[in-house]
Amino acid sequence: MRIADCGIRNWKINLKLEEEDAISMDNSSIKKLTRRQFIKGAAAVTAAPLIMEAFPFYGTLAHGSSEADLVIAKSGSPAQLLQAAMAPLGGMGRFVKKGQRVVIKANIAWARTPEQACTNNPELFSSLIKMCYEAGAKRVAVWDHTCDNYQFCFSRSGLKDAGQRAGADVLSGHGRNVYKKVEIPKGKKLKTAEVLRDVLEADVFINLPIPKQHFATELTLGMKNLIGIVWDMEQLHKIDLHQCIADINTLRKPDLVVVDAIRILTTNGPKGPGKTEDPVEVIASTDIVAADAYSASFFKHPKTGKPFRPEEVKFVKLASDLGLGEIDLAKVRVKKVSAT
Amino acid sequence: MNRWIPLLRRTVQALSFFFLLYLVIRTAFPLELKIPVDLYLRLDPFVAIISILTHKGIIERMFPAFGVLLLVMIFGNFFCGWFCPMGAVIDFFDRLLFREKKQTKPFDDQPLRRFRYGLFIFSVIAGLMAFQVMYLLDPISLLTRTLVISFFPPVIFVFNHLLPQVQSILPKSPFIVSSIPLPVFKVNLFIFIFFIGILALGVIRKRFWCRYLCPLGTLFSVFSRLRILKRSVTNDCTDCQKCVKECPVGAIPERAPQSYRQQDCVSCFKCLECPPGAVSFHFNRPRWKTVDGVNLSRRYVLGSFAFACVSALMIKTNPLQSESGLKNNRLVRPPGSLPEEEFVAICTGCGECLKVCPNNALQSTFLEAGLSGLYTPRLVSRIGYCEEFCNFCGRVCPTEAIRPLSLEEKRLIQMGVAHIDKTRCIAWDTEKICLVCNEQCSYQAIVGDEKKRPIVKEEKCTGCGICENKCPVDGESAIIVYSSGVQKKLKPENSNNKG
Repeated sequence: MRIADCGIRNWKINLKLEEEDAISMDNSSIKKLTRRQFIKGAAAVTAAPLIMEAFPFYGTLAHGSSEADLVIAKSGSPAQLLQAAMAPLGGMGRFVKKGQRVVIKANIAWARTPEQACTNNPELFSSLIKMCYEAGAKRVAVWDHTCDNYQFCFSRSGLKDAGQRAGADVLSGHGRNVYKKVEIPKGKKLKTAEVLRDVLEADVFINLPIPKQHFATELTLGMKNLIGIVWDMEQLHKIDLHQCIADINTLRKPDLVVVDAIRILTTNGPKGPGKTEDPVEVIASTDIVAADAYSASFFKHPKTGKPFRPEEVKFVKLASDLGLGEIDLAKVRVKKVSAT
Repeated sequence: MNRWIPLLRRTVQALSFFFLLYLVIRTAFPLELKIPVDLYLRLDPFVAIISILTHKGIIERMFPAFGVLLLVMIFGNFFCGWFCPMGAVIDFFDRLLFREKKQTKPFDDQPLRRFRYGLFIFSVIAGLMAFQVMYLLDPISLLTRTLVISFFPPVIFVFNHLLPQVQSILPKSPFIVSSIPLPVFKVNLFIFIFFIGILALGVIRKRFWCRYLCPLGTLFSVFSRLRILKRSVTNDCTDCQKCVKECPVGAIPERAPQSYRQQDCVSCFKCLECPPGAVSFHFNRPRWKTVDGVNLSRRYVLGSFAFACVSALMIKTNPLQSESGLKNNRLVRPPGSLPEEEFVAICTGCGECLKVCPNNALQSTFLEAGLSGLYTPRLVSRIGYCEEFCNFCGRVCPTEAIRPLSLEEKRLIQMGVAHIDKTRCIAWDTEKICLVCNEQCSYQAIVGDEKKRPIVKEEKCTGCGICENKCPVDGESAIIVYSSGVQKKLKPENSNNKG
């Protein structure tokens, strides 16, 4: 895959250079497309379809275009699942361009161990960071406004270690200085909020939620994860939690949503510990409402005993009403892939 | 050689102070230092003797203190002169502020010298009667308390204000980090003024505090009469009075510079700078007898004794005492604390637990725990809550007033129980869905009913106060932790919360 990818990229750059050469012919310092590079590129292009048999998704990556809006990747290691889920969306290169700053909103809210499924899966977490760097990101920062003490959250969840080993800054929003007060023009009930400055200013914003059962809002999904970019989170409960979740999401639409459904918490959420299930899925999407609509089906409604329908989660419905995304999965290009 | 001794001593003093400062700074998450961060307090025999006597049991952590006492019997009161961080601070400020002061009028300080023995007797007796005045005066406890409560928060405050400035200076740096959560303590001003008062006493005499007040110094004085390293003066002495003037604690009598008060000498070796070189220190047989011994008359001792007893009884019968502490149900003690009366008797108020608490939950009391409970730690949930996977306060307590517990044990200690004020609770009072307390509760002690209103399950509640802390109701929380009197151990089977 990597050969194919690099080949194509070199090819593109070289084409660009040639054009520039044509404009300034006397500038000899600019290299021409050498024969060797041409052959390499050509070989990669011809080889790519052959390799595609073995790696079904990498072909689409080379095309750099998306063939789905919501990709569900099943069975495989977290890193494989992420690779598989990203490919039909157009690869990480579609979202992260060279030299860009990436901010990931992860879920490190609780001082729980990874097995308890209250925080993100460390392996998925670090492979997401690595993917961003491979796509050329200049800096990846991970933010969360933790509920428990940030030091305990970071160490017990293992995410600080995992993030730092992958080269990211894992940062906690425990100081008010990292927030910025902003107006929420589209918000219905929440008109102003203090939001993490880095989230607003980053070039690319990725939301990495973990779906969990939640007693107050029924479920914690992608949109609920964004409550963790607000300074006075608890105050939102006082206004109207469901509407506030939707309102906060009008502020900045995540460029990419990666739902970490490798292991999910089905009881005693969001802090747990409770019963867990292992769907071993990673959902990647550009549409946060669609991603939430799909992830809701992991959980059984306490009254009916059937999987949640998206409309039954109030904040998903409200977000759809605000026009944040598509709640009806029939209208979304969904692709299911297997990572192995 | 002799010329280097003052310099060496000053260096040792500075190092000792900065080492204490370093230990205090490292008294924080993740608390992985190899050396115990409360090392200085563990080396304090005054705290050791009184806490062991009041505890009526052995406190293993305090054993190193007796090693110091043994060393004092060999080298004399070297601790005060060389290692005491409080002494270092006092010496520094004496040099800085009161250097010009010419002590032209020497006064007979014998009554004053006696005063600290009286104070010592008073504090021991009162201490045994559970009135802990002594801990206010113990220099190590005093210094750590002052550093933690009075000086640490302003430093963090300044740092937090400089942080954005520094970040804006850095060229095109997108890097922003959170400021450090500002620790707050309401007793900071009292403690600061007390400390400044001690330093200001230097205007009267160099090391006024050490000479006339310090109870730890008094204890060392008693033991240093058994010292083996002794000062001797040859016949070369010209009676130039240089050593008399130079001695930082005034241990050399003006009339007879050839002799010295061995109980007061802090072994600083400053008198070795003798112009004729008549002074030297040698090991010799210990002799209890000394010059200018303290004139502790029977009347004086009994007077101190009686005064201590009466004061302690006053404290015990003070309504503040009977109304708070045992009866103040908002007074939640740290997890693993001894029963209230014993806790108040043993806690030194050193402030180590206040410093180490990651959420600033532990606060120093003023009068809430009665007069005898001054500067003891309490859990104020509205400021911070007790972190579930943290047992730091027990690990740094030098006298084990907060017992060192394993995380499993600590998570089963019930400090108090949360109660919901249904008239103020958002969920009970209005139709809104709140349940912040349910979401935050680490022990699943708060459940919601069918209308999504919170209910506390007492058998699971530890009183950690995270619900009170996070409750979005303005001002006083709608869910309040009340102390359960004596801390109980919860049944593990009720806790479905396995680490």
